[in-house]
Amino acid sequence: MILLEFHNRIVEETLGQKFKNALEGGKPDAIDITIADFDGVLYHMSNPNDDKSKVMVSISLKFYKDLQEHGADDLIKREYADFLSSPEEGYSVSLLYDLDKVPANHEEVVKKAGLLKRNCFASVFEKYFEFQAKGESGHKRAIIHYRDDETMYVASQKDRVTVIFSTVFKDNDDVIIGKLFMQEFKEGRRKFNQAPQVLFSHREPPQELQNTDAATGDNIGYITFVLFPRHISATAKDNTINLIHTLRDYLHYHIKCSKAYIHSRMRAKTSAFLKVLNRARPEVDAAKKEKKTISGQTFRAK
Amino acid sequence: MAGRLPAVVIDNGTGYTKMGYAGNTEPQFIIPSCIAVKESASVNDQSMRRLGKGMDDLDFYIGDEALNQPSYAVKWPIRHGIVDDWDFMERFWEQAIFKYLRSEPEDHYFLLTEPPLNTPENREYTAEIMFESFNVPGLYIAVQAVLALAASWTSRQVGERTLTGTVIDSGDGVTHVIPVAEGYVIGSCIKHIPIAGRDITYFIQQLLREREVGIPPEQSLETAKAIKEKFCYVCPDIAKEIAKYDAEPSKWLKRFESSNSITRQEFAIDVGYERFLGPEIFFHPEFSNPDFTLPISDVVDEVIQNCPIDVRRGLYKNIVLSGGSTMFKDFGKKLQRDVKRTVGARLKVSEELSGGRIKPKPIDVM
Amino acid sequence: MAATLQPYLTAVKNTLTAAMCLQNFESQVVERHNKPEVEVRSSKELLLIPVVISRNEKEKVLIESSINSLRISIAVKQADEIEKILCHKFMRFMMMRAENFVVLRRKPVKGYDISFLITNFHTEQMYKHKLVDFIIHFMEEIDKEISDMKISVNSRARICAEEFLKNF
Repeated sequence: MILLEFHNRIVEETLGQKFKNALEGGKPDAIDITIADFDGVLYHMSNPNDDKSKVMVSISLKFYKDLQEHGADDLIKREYADFLSSPEEGYSVSLLYDLDKVPANHEEVVKKAGLLKRNCFASVFEKYFEFQAKGESGHKRAIIHYRDDETMYVASQKDRVTVIFSTVFKDNDDVIIGKLFMQEFKEGRRKFNQAPQVLFSHREPPQELQNTDAATGDNIGYITFVLFPRHISATAKDNTINLIHTLRDYLHYHIKCSKAYIHSRMRAKTSAFLKVLNRARPEVDAAKKEKKTISGQTFRAK
Repeated sequence: MAGRLPAVVIDNGTGYTKMGYAGNTEPQFIIPSCIAVKESASVNDQSMRRLGKGMDDLDFYIGDEALNQPSYAVKWPIRHGIVDDWDFMERFWEQAIFKYLRSEPEDHYFLLTEPPLNTPENREYTAEIMFESFNVPGLYIAVQAVLALAASWTSRQVGERTLTGTVIDSGDGVTHVIPVAEGYVIGSCIKHIPIAGRDITYFIQQLLREREVGIPPEQSLETAKAIKEKFCYVCPDIAKEIAKYDAEPSKWLKRFESSNSITRQEFAIDVGYERFLGPEIFFHPEFSNPDFTLPISDVVDEVIQNCPIDVRRGLYKNIVLSGGSTMFKDFGKKLQRDVKRTVGARLKVSEELSGGRIKPKPIDVM
Repeated sequence: MAATLQPYLTAVKNTLTAAMCLQNFESQVVERHNKPEVEVRSSKELLLIPVVISRNEKEKVLIESSINSLRISIAVKQADEIEKILCHKFMRFMMMRAENFVVLRRKPVKGYDISFLITNFHTEQMYKHKLVDFIIHFMEEIDKEISDMKISVNSRARICAEEFLKNF
């Protein structure tokens, strides 16, 4: 698995199971689970008012307020109009599914539910893509605090949309591996003309963010994507959003995979060293030991 | 961020891995603990070979997906509950966390499990992987038996919730009897019984082979397993049970129907004494294993008698069953009766020896 | 560069072979104790003059010997940041498993990346020349392994970036 998946497996599987069960005429079971997703997202699946025939899927995003400023509500309404209900307390968006009336296209509905987090993110991008398409400029930059100490900035100019991520590396060693990865992102794009331009800076925020409250520090990196109209045309738009919103997790996932890889190498090498060291031990009485032939006779090596 | 988000719980068993988020009543995923990897045929030594080139080490599947991959080799990194291959285990966790649970490990606390008598090295390796590769903020490695005790709290009143008790953990491969006092495993007193789910299956298979001819030989193990899982129960007394079956066969005999997986031909077999003889090997091990003749109730009694005297009462009082092979109907009831009988006999002897002057306080079992 | 490696290793090998001359020696300070003198440094007359063999500024070996023990500390080449962390990780990884490597010291001597402590008990149980071979083998391999690891991590990063950008 190189790319991360965009949907939430647990939401999809659980909801799919419920629909299937309902279609087969089974009795609905109670459900009450809380699950997490990347970027501190929390899902809650439950039966509202203990009514087992209904399933409510709620999502809590800490930065939903930021997203709301950029029309997240509209986008959610567009995507989930039939199922939207007033949000459960403590959660940002709630969807309500009725198991007594399973929609005909239930597989699609389930898929969509799994993409709830992605769609929440999408609103900001869509809005700014639109600004760019209309050629409007001078809009304020959108700031999304998508994690406690990490921020995403989206801005549109006449001919492009820039997306800047800041990301924090908890471990000092990760900073160095992370830098290596980001460098490769910058280099890698030369090979692919269709890819957006990627810039990165370490410690200091890029020029666009100078004189803002953007954090600086040894363990902070900034990645800038410059998206041109071909990335944000109506056809390419969804794909671009899919990729960009997972970038941060993608990066961290691969840093961890690299460390796992280093671990396996070290394990292999360590055991090779051990083998060499053990050669220094004289074999214990190998010569004196009796050996057996296949027919059961014994002999002594001389 | 770790405070707001639920902790991740991963229980790696020999056969199945159970994982999910804390606070939910059941695991979100129960998948086979296996990993499917591409094996290249080059001649380097084993460990260097599996590293592969570039990103080859990300080309793998775990769980159910692994079992359905042609041209991949399926590996089981855990043996007898203990991790055997750390490279595979690290990659298994990698995918479990990022693909299945979709959690950023830096944001969650982790709860992992270990079998009783796990070596400190293994625990260190686990922690090394978790902290160094995944940067988890916090980790707890719990002993499965202690968690089983804690899990039994849900069926108990608040005042009776203790972490003292005897856990009988019986899976597919091996059965352990584990005494736990105040949350600590009394390692020196753990006993293993070489009888577990697989032995029951073999025993049933053997019984069927003697009587039923309709079963295709290559399916006989599956059939025996299906019968075990579907029909078996524990009876209080074998002789009486057999008499009961003989008197009214129509009421007790069950029919098992299945079809040959190759010829698609239907076959049906009668299920008779197997229903209670299968699980009975826990109580009469000599049925299936001539080298081991101690019934499970005696093993439990022996384990508790080996423990420090001040915890014994608590251990008798709280015997917890966990694992798939303890789920037969009335298993607990029979075990309770047998242990009680042994303990009662011992108390009676000590009363007689004292000439009736000492009246021992009766001991509760279960 | 490569031309200097062989003389460097030969020098280390010869010095080590000479230093392997160890004998059982009981502590002069504490009765019934037998401690590696190179570690406890209780009496000056039991210690020999330490030797430093260096190939260049970064790669050097310190060999300290005494009557009953010898300590060899190695500084491994670290050309850039990534080699530095890889080396650091690898050394820590090995020292975590010091139990298995009987001659490995759990902490490196200050200024070096990894140290080995060989006592007379080790030389009595194992072949001396094979122990020297092990140290030399280790020195040869460690450079290679670290640069290999660096290359693989680099190529991983490249593939990872390309895979992501390809999808646009």
